[in-house]
Amino acid sequence: MAIDRKKIIEEMSNIRLSGNEEGIIPAFGVFIQQLPADFWNGFTQRLVHSIPEDFIEEAEGLLVNAAHECGYHTGYGIITSEEWNKVVGPMIEDSPDDILHGAFAVFTAWGWANAEISEIVPNEKLVVHAYDYYEKDIAAYGKTGRPSAYLIQGVAGAFMDLAYGKSSYPDGLYTFKCTQTKGIELGDDYGEFVVTRA
Amino acid sequence: MTDQNTPKYEIEYHFDSEKKRHYMNGFCTVLHCHHYATLFTQLADVAVHFDGERLFKESAEDTFYEVLNDYFSKKSIVTLTDKISIAEQYWKTVGMGMIHFTGVGKVVVTAEMDYSHLDEGWLKKWGSREKPVNFITAGFVAAVAALANDKPPRTFGVRETKGLVCGDDVSAFKAVIK
Repeated sequence: MAIDRKKIIEEMSNIRLSGNEEGIIPAFGVFIQQLPADFWNGFTQRLVHSIPEDFIEEAEGLLVNAAHECGYHTGYGIITSEEWNKVVGPMIEDSPDDILHGAFAVFTAWGWANAEISEIVPNEKLVVHAYDYYEKDIAAYGKTGRPSAYLIQGVAGAFMDLAYGKSSYPDGLYTFKCTQTKGIELGDDYGEFVVTRA
Repeated sequence: MTDQNTPKYEIEYHFDSEKKRHYMNGFCTVLHCHHYATLFTQLADVAVHFDGERLFKESAEDTFYEVLNDYFSKKSIVTLTDKISIAEQYWKTVGMGMIHFTGVGKVVVTAEMDYSHLDEGWLKKWGSREKPVNFITAGFVAAVAALANDKPPRTFGVRETKGLVCGDDVSAFKAVIK
Protein backbone atom coordinates (compact mmCIF):
# COMPACT_ATOMS: atom_id res chain seq x y z
CA MET A 1 0.00 0.00 0.00
CA ALA A 2 1.45 3.31 -1.10
CA ILE A 3 -1.06 5.54 0.59
CA ASP A 4 0.70 8.18 2.69
CA ARG A 5 -2.04 8.92 5.21
CA LYS A 6 -0.04 11.59 7.02
CA LYS A 7 0.64 13.51 3.83
CA ILE A 8 -2.99 13.32 2.70
CA ILE A 9 -4.20 14.63 6.05
CA GLU A 10 -1.66 17.46 6.02
CA GLU A 11 -2.58 18.59 2.51
CA MET A 12 -6.34 17.99 2.52
CA SER A 13 -6.88 19.58 5.95
CA ASN A 14 -5.68 22.86 4.46
CA ILE A 15 -8.55 23.15 2.01
CA ARG A 16 -10.59 26.22 2.94
CA LEU A 17 -14.12 26.61 1.61
CA SER A 18 -16.22 29.73 1.75
CA GLY A 19 -19.56 30.81 0.36
CA ASN A 20 -19.56 32.37 -3.12
CA GLU A 21 -21.34 35.64 -3.96
CA GLU A 22 -24.64 33.82 -3.36
CA GLY A 23 -23.47 32.36 -0.06
CA ILE A 24 -23.38 28.86 -1.53
CA ILE A 25 -20.43 26.44 -1.61
CA PRO A 26 -20.76 24.21 -4.67
CA ALA A 27 -17.92 21.67 -4.44
CA PHE A 28 -17.33 17.97 -5.04
CA GLY A 29 -20.63 17.68 -6.92
CA VAL A 30 -22.74 18.80 -3.94
CA PHE A 31 -23.50 21.93 -1.93
CA ILE A 32 -21.29 22.13 1.15
CA GLN A 33 -21.83 23.97 4.41
CA GLN A 34 -19.55 24.29 7.45
CA LEU A 35 -21.49 24.47 10.69
CA PRO A 36 -20.50 23.92 14.31
CA ALA A 37 -20.45 20.27 15.39
CA ASP A 38 -22.58 21.28 18.38
CA PHE A 39 -25.49 22.00 16.08
CA TRP A 40 -25.59 18.48 14.64
CA ASN A 41 -24.87 16.87 18.00
CA GLY A 42 -27.43 19.10 19.70
CA PHE A 43 -30.26 17.95 17.48
CA THR A 44 -29.22 14.31 17.65
CA GLN A 45 -29.11 14.18 21.43
CA ARG A 46 -32.35 16.13 21.80
CA LEU A 47 -34.10 13.76 19.41
CA VAL A 48 -32.73 10.59 20.97
CA HIS A 49 -33.61 11.85 24.46
CA SER A 50 -37.11 12.94 23.43
CA ILE A 51 -38.49 9.88 21.74
CA PRO A 52 -39.82 6.74 23.39
CA GLU A 53 -37.47 3.75 23.64
CA ASP A 54 -39.47 1.89 20.98
CA PHE A 55 -38.68 4.50 18.33
CA ILE A 56 -35.00 5.15 19.08
CA GLU A 57 -33.68 2.48 16.75
CA GLU A 58 -35.77 3.81 13.88
CA ALA A 59 -34.59 7.37 14.48
CA GLU A 60 -30.99 6.22 14.72
CA GLY A 61 -31.43 4.42 11.42
CA LEU A 62 -32.49 7.69 9.82
CA LEU A 63 -29.48 9.51 11.30
CA VAL A 64 -27.19 6.83 9.88
CA ASN A 65 -28.99 7.02 6.55
CA ALA A 66 -28.35 10.78 6.34
CA ALA A 67 -24.65 10.07 6.67
CA HIS A 68 -24.79 7.10 4.30
CA GLU A 69 -26.25 9.20 1.48
CA CYS A 70 -23.94 12.10 2.32
CA GLY A 71 -20.92 9.78 2.29
CA TYR A 72 -21.95 8.16 -0.96
CA HIS A 73 -22.51 11.32 -2.96
CA THR A 74 -19.86 13.53 -1.38
CA GLY A 75 -17.44 10.59 -1.27
CA TYR A 76 -17.87 10.12 -5.00
CA GLY A 77 -17.32 13.84 -5.51
CA ILE A 78 -14.14 13.69 -3.46
CA ILE A 79 -12.57 10.68 -5.20
CA THR A 80 -13.24 12.21 -8.61
CA SER A 81 -12.06 15.71 -7.68
CA GLU A 82 -9.01 17.63 -8.85
CA GLU A 83 -7.75 17.78 -5.27
CA TRP A 84 -7.94 13.99 -4.98
CA ASN A 85 -6.24 13.43 -8.33
CA LYS A 86 -3.45 15.75 -7.33
CA VAL A 87 -2.80 14.52 -3.78
CA VAL A 88 -4.08 10.95 -3.51
CA GLY A 89 -4.21 9.80 -7.13
CA PRO A 90 -0.44 9.29 -7.54
CA MET A 91 -0.38 7.09 -4.40
CA ILE A 92 -2.93 4.57 -5.67
CA GLU A 93 -1.41 1.24 -6.70
CA ASP A 94 -4.00 -1.27 -5.57
CA SER A 95 -7.53 -0.20 -6.46
CA PRO A 96 -10.06 -0.11 -4.85
CA ASP A 97 -8.43 -0.85 -1.47
CA ASP A 98 -5.97 2.05 -1.75
CA ILE A 99 -8.90 4.29 -2.66
CA LEU A 100 -10.60 3.23 0.56
CA HIS A 101 -7.49 3.98 2.63
CA GLY A 102 -7.16 7.33 0.87
CA ALA A 103 -10.84 8.12 1.40
CA PHE A 104 -10.53 7.57 5.16
CA ALA A 105 -7.48 9.82 5.22
CA VAL A 106 -9.56 12.55 3.56
CA PHE A 107 -12.44 11.75 5.94
CA THR A 108 -9.98 12.42 8.77
CA ALA A 109 -8.54 15.55 7.15
CA TRP A 110 -12.00 17.06 6.90
CA GLY A 111 -12.54 16.70 10.62
CA TRP A 112 -15.29 14.11 10.58
CA ALA A 113 -13.28 11.63 12.64
CA ASN A 114 -9.73 10.46 13.19
CA ALA A 115 -10.55 7.17 11.51
CA GLU A 116 -8.56 4.57 9.66
CA ILE A 117 -9.07 1.12 8.24
CA SER A 118 -8.14 -1.76 10.48
CA GLU A 119 -9.15 -4.60 8.17
CA ILE A 120 -10.40 -5.11 4.63
CA VAL A 121 -11.82 -8.29 3.21
CA PRO A 122 -12.23 -7.32 -0.44
CA ASN A 123 -15.82 -7.19 -1.60
CA GLU A 124 -17.05 -8.44 1.79
CA LYS A 125 -16.03 -6.62 4.92
CA LEU A 126 -14.40 -3.48 6.27
CA VAL A 127 -13.39 -2.70 9.86
CA VAL A 128 -12.69 0.92 10.80
CA HIS A 129 -11.23 2.26 14.03
CA ALA A 130 -11.82 5.86 15.09
CA TYR A 131 -9.70 7.44 17.82
CA ASP A 132 -11.65 10.67 18.02
CA TYR A 133 -14.91 11.85 16.49
CA TYR A 134 -17.12 14.82 17.14
CA GLU A 135 -20.18 12.66 17.74
CA LYS A 136 -18.56 11.20 20.86
CA ASP A 137 -19.27 14.60 22.39
CA ILE A 138 -22.96 13.66 22.45
CA ALA A 139 -22.11 11.81 25.66
CA ALA A 140 -21.31 15.19 27.21
CA TYR A 141 -25.02 16.04 27.03
CA GLY A 142 -25.86 13.03 29.17
CA LYS A 143 -24.99 9.39 28.67
CA THR A 144 -27.35 7.52 26.43
CA GLY A 145 -25.66 4.15 26.90
CA ARG A 146 -25.91 3.75 23.16
CA PRO A 147 -23.32 4.11 20.39
CA SER A 148 -23.72 7.56 18.87
CA ALA A 149 -21.29 7.70 15.94
CA TYR A 150 -24.03 7.74 13.33
CA LEU A 151 -21.93 9.70 10.85
CA ILE A 152 -19.09 7.18 10.80
CA GLN A 153 -21.52 4.28 10.52
CA GLY A 154 -23.17 5.85 7.50
CA VAL A 155 -20.03 7.03 5.75
CA ALA A 156 -18.17 3.75 6.30
CA GLY A 157 -21.04 1.89 4.62
CA ALA A 158 -21.10 4.44 1.82
CA PHE A 159 -17.39 4.14 1.13
CA MET A 160 -17.75 0.36 0.76
CA ASP A 161 -20.70 1.02 -1.59
CA LEU A 162 -18.39 3.15 -3.71
CA ALA A 163 -15.60 0.57 -3.65
CA TYR A 164 -17.55 -2.67 -3.94
CA GLY A 165 -21.16 -1.68 -4.59
CA LYS A 166 -23.46 -3.97 -6.57
CA SER A 167 -23.39 -1.30 -9.28
CA SER A 168 -21.18 1.66 -10.01
CA TYR A 169 -22.10 5.17 -8.90
CA PRO A 170 -24.88 6.28 -8.54
CA ASP A 171 -26.62 2.89 -8.36
CA GLY A 172 -24.59 1.08 -5.71
CA LEU A 173 -26.04 2.75 -2.63
CA TYR A 174 -27.00 0.47 0.30
CA THR A 175 -25.02 -2.55 -0.90
CA PHE A 176 -23.34 -2.47 2.52
CA LYS A 177 -24.40 -1.68 6.08
CA CYS A 178 -22.36 -0.78 9.13
CA THR A 179 -22.60 -1.69 12.81
CA GLN A 180 -20.80 0.22 15.54
CA THR A 181 -19.30 -2.38 17.89
CA LYS A 182 -17.25 -0.08 20.19
CA GLY A 183 -17.47 3.58 21.14
CA ILE A 184 -15.45 6.13 23.04
CA GLU A 185 -18.82 7.42 24.24
CA LEU A 186 -19.37 3.97 25.77
CA GLY A 187 -16.04 3.93 27.61
CA ASP A 188 -13.99 2.10 24.97
CA ASP A 189 -10.58 3.39 23.89
CA TYR A 190 -11.76 3.85 20.33
CA GLY A 191 -14.79 3.45 18.15
CA GLU A 192 -15.06 0.35 16.00
CA PHE A 193 -17.20 0.04 12.90
CA VAL A 194 -17.83 -3.17 11.03
CA VAL A 195 -19.18 -2.96 7.49
CA THR A 196 -20.71 -6.02 5.87
CA ARG A 197 -23.02 -6.72 2.96
CA ALA A 198 -26.57 -5.54 3.57
CA MET B 1 -27.48 46.07 6.15
CA THR B 2 -23.90 45.38 5.06
CA ASP B 3 -21.97 48.37 3.72
CA GLN B 4 -18.36 49.44 3.54
CA ASN B 5 -18.50 51.03 6.98
CA THR B 6 -19.52 47.86 8.77
CA PRO B 7 -16.89 45.44 10.05
CA LYS B 8 -15.82 42.48 7.96
CA TYR B 9 -16.46 39.04 9.39
CA GLU B 10 -13.05 37.56 10.15
CA ILE B 11 -12.22 33.88 10.42
CA GLU B 12 -9.45 32.22 12.34
CA TYR B 13 -9.05 28.59 11.28
CA HIS B 14 -7.29 26.00 13.36
CA PHE B 15 -6.75 22.32 12.67
CA ASP B 16 -6.01 20.26 15.75
CA SER B 17 -3.50 17.82 14.31
CA GLU B 18 -3.80 15.47 17.27
CA LYS B 19 -7.58 15.08 17.40
CA LYS B 20 -7.98 15.91 13.71
CA ARG B 21 -10.68 18.48 14.31
CA HIS B 22 -11.28 21.80 12.60
CA TYR B 23 -12.04 24.95 14.53
CA MET B 24 -13.49 28.17 13.16
CA ASN B 25 -13.11 31.06 15.58
CA GLY B 26 -12.73 28.56 18.40
CA PHE B 27 -15.76 26.39 17.58
CA CYS B 28 -15.37 22.82 16.36
CA THR B 29 -16.75 22.92 12.82
CA VAL B 30 -17.54 20.19 10.30
CA LEU B 31 -18.12 20.18 6.57
CA HIS B 32 -21.33 18.53 5.45
CA CYS B 33 -23.23 18.38 2.17
CA HIS B 34 -26.81 19.22 1.21
CA HIS B 35 -27.73 15.53 1.38
CA TYR B 36 -26.89 15.51 5.08
CA ALA B 37 -28.62 18.81 5.82
CA THR B 38 -31.79 17.96 3.92
CA LEU B 39 -32.05 14.45 5.37
CA PHE B 40 -31.66 15.81 8.92
CA THR B 41 -34.30 18.41 8.07
CA GLN B 42 -36.60 15.74 6.68
CA LEU B 43 -36.16 13.72 9.87
CA ALA B 44 -37.09 16.77 11.94
CA ASP B 45 -40.07 17.40 9.67
CA VAL B 46 -41.49 13.89 9.88
CA ALA B 47 -40.89 13.55 13.63
CA VAL B 48 -44.14 15.45 14.23
CA HIS B 49 -45.12 13.46 17.30
CA PHE B 50 -41.75 14.17 18.93
CA ASP B 51 -41.65 17.88 18.08
CA GLY B 52 -38.76 17.37 15.66
CA GLU B 53 -39.11 20.78 14.04
CA ARG B 54 -38.90 22.55 17.39
CA LEU B 55 -35.90 20.46 18.47
CA PHE B 56 -34.07 21.22 15.23
CA LYS B 57 -34.83 24.94 15.40
CA GLU B 58 -33.79 25.14 19.05
CA SER B 59 -30.52 23.33 18.38
CA ALA B 60 -29.81 25.87 15.63
CA GLU B 61 -30.84 28.82 17.80
CA ASP B 62 -28.69 27.74 20.74
CA THR B 63 -25.64 27.00 18.58
CA PHE B 64 -25.67 30.15 16.49
CA TYR B 65 -26.53 32.32 19.49
CA GLU B 66 -23.39 31.05 21.19
CA VAL B 67 -21.22 31.41 18.08
CA LEU B 68 -22.33 34.96 17.28
CA ASN B 69 -22.42 36.12 20.89
CA ASP B 70 -18.86 34.90 21.36
CA TYR B 71 -17.77 36.74 18.20
CA PHE B 72 -19.54 39.96 19.21
CA SER B 73 -17.88 39.81 22.60
CA LYS B 74 -14.36 39.09 21.33
CA LYS B 75 -14.51 41.63 18.50
CA SER B 76 -16.39 44.31 20.46
CA ILE B 77 -19.35 44.30 18.08
CA VAL B 78 -21.94 46.40 19.89
CA THR B 79 -24.11 48.37 17.48
CA LEU B 80 -27.24 46.88 15.98
CA THR B 81 -26.05 47.56 12.43
CA ASP B 82 -22.75 45.82 13.02
CA LYS B 83 -24.35 42.82 14.71
CA ILE B 84 -26.73 42.31 11.80
CA SER B 85 -23.97 42.75 9.25
CA ILE B 86 -21.76 40.18 10.96
CA ALA B 87 -24.65 37.73 11.18
CA GLU B 88 -25.38 38.11 7.45
CA GLN B 89 -21.72 37.67 6.56
CA TYR B 90 -21.42 34.62 8.82
CA TRP B 91 -24.36 32.86 7.13
CA LYS B 92 -22.84 33.55 3.72
CA THR B 93 -19.34 32.46 4.74
CA VAL B 94 -20.44 29.09 6.11
CA GLY B 95 -22.33 28.36 2.91
CA MET B 96 -25.90 28.64 4.19
CA GLY B 97 -26.86 31.31 1.66
CA MET B 98 -27.52 35.00 1.26
CA ILE B 99 -29.68 36.40 4.05
CA HIS B 100 -30.78 40.00 4.49
CA PHE B 101 -32.39 41.25 7.66
CA THR B 102 -35.09 43.53 6.32
CA GLY B 103 -36.44 44.81 9.61
CA VAL B 104 -35.08 44.62 13.15
CA GLY B 105 -37.35 45.85 15.91
CA LYS B 106 -37.95 45.06 19.54
CA VAL B 107 -41.05 43.01 18.78
CA VAL B 108 -40.67 41.83 15.20
CA VAL B 109 -37.58 40.91 13.18
CA THR B 110 -37.81 39.99 9.50
CA ALA B 111 -35.32 38.48 7.09
CA GLU B 112 -35.21 37.24 3.52
CA MET B 113 -33.00 34.89 1.59
CA ASP B 114 -32.37 35.16 -2.13
CA TYR B 115 -30.20 32.04 -2.07
CA SER B 116 -30.36 29.20 0.40
CA HIS B 117 -28.21 26.08 0.83
CA LEU B 118 -31.10 24.17 2.34
CA ASP B 119 -33.72 25.14 -0.23
CA GLU B 120 -31.44 24.66 -3.21
CA GLY B 121 -30.26 21.38 -1.78
CA TRP B 122 -33.83 20.23 -1.19
CA LEU B 123 -34.86 21.22 -4.72
CA LYS B 124 -31.87 19.41 -6.17
CA LYS B 125 -32.56 16.27 -4.16
CA TRP B 126 -36.35 16.03 -4.11
CA GLY B 127 -37.86 18.96 -5.98
CA SER B 128 -40.35 21.49 -4.68
CA ARG B 129 -42.78 21.16 -1.80
CA GLU B 130 -45.75 23.16 -0.57
CA LYS B 131 -44.51 24.07 2.89
CA PRO B 132 -41.26 25.95 3.73
CA VAL B 133 -38.71 23.74 5.44
CA ASN B 134 -35.65 25.82 6.28
CA PHE B 135 -35.71 25.12 10.03
CA ILE B 136 -31.97 25.74 10.38
CA THR B 137 -32.25 29.32 9.17
CA ALA B 138 -35.39 29.84 11.26
CA GLY B 139 -33.31 28.94 14.33
CA PHE B 140 -30.55 31.23 13.11
CA VAL B 141 -33.02 34.13 12.73
CA ALA B 142 -34.32 33.49 16.26
CA ALA B 143 -30.74 33.71 17.56
CA VAL B 144 -30.01 36.92 15.67
CA ALA B 145 -33.30 38.50 16.75
CA ALA B 146 -32.48 37.77 20.39
CA LEU B 147 -28.89 39.02 20.13
CA ALA B 148 -29.96 42.17 18.31
CA ASN B 149 -32.22 42.96 21.25
CA ASP B 150 -29.77 41.83 23.95
CA LYS B 151 -32.15 39.07 24.96
CA PRO B 152 -31.57 35.37 25.69
CA PRO B 153 -32.51 32.49 23.36
CA ARG B 154 -36.23 31.59 23.15
CA THR B 155 -37.20 35.26 23.26
CA PHE B 156 -38.49 35.10 19.69
CA GLY B 157 -40.55 32.54 17.83
CA VAL B 158 -39.84 32.33 14.11
CA ARG B 159 -42.10 31.39 11.23
CA GLU B 160 -40.95 30.93 7.65
CA THR B 161 -43.62 32.68 5.63
CA LYS B 162 -42.25 32.11 2.12
CA GLY B 163 -39.85 29.52 0.79
CA LEU B 164 -37.64 29.19 -2.26
CA VAL B 165 -38.44 25.51 -2.04
CA CYS B 166 -42.11 26.38 -2.62
CA GLY B 167 -41.38 28.41 -5.73
CA ASP B 168 -41.51 31.78 -3.98
CA ASP B 169 -39.12 34.52 -5.09
CA VAL B 170 -37.41 34.53 -1.70
CA SER B 171 -37.47 32.64 1.58
CA ALA B 172 -38.94 34.96 4.22
CA PHE B 173 -38.72 34.68 8.00
CA LYS B 174 -40.70 36.55 10.62
CA ALA B 175 -39.53 36.50 14.23
CA VAL B 176 -42.06 37.70 16.80
CA ILE B 177 -41.38 38.19 20.50
CA LYS B 178 -43.06 35.52 22.62
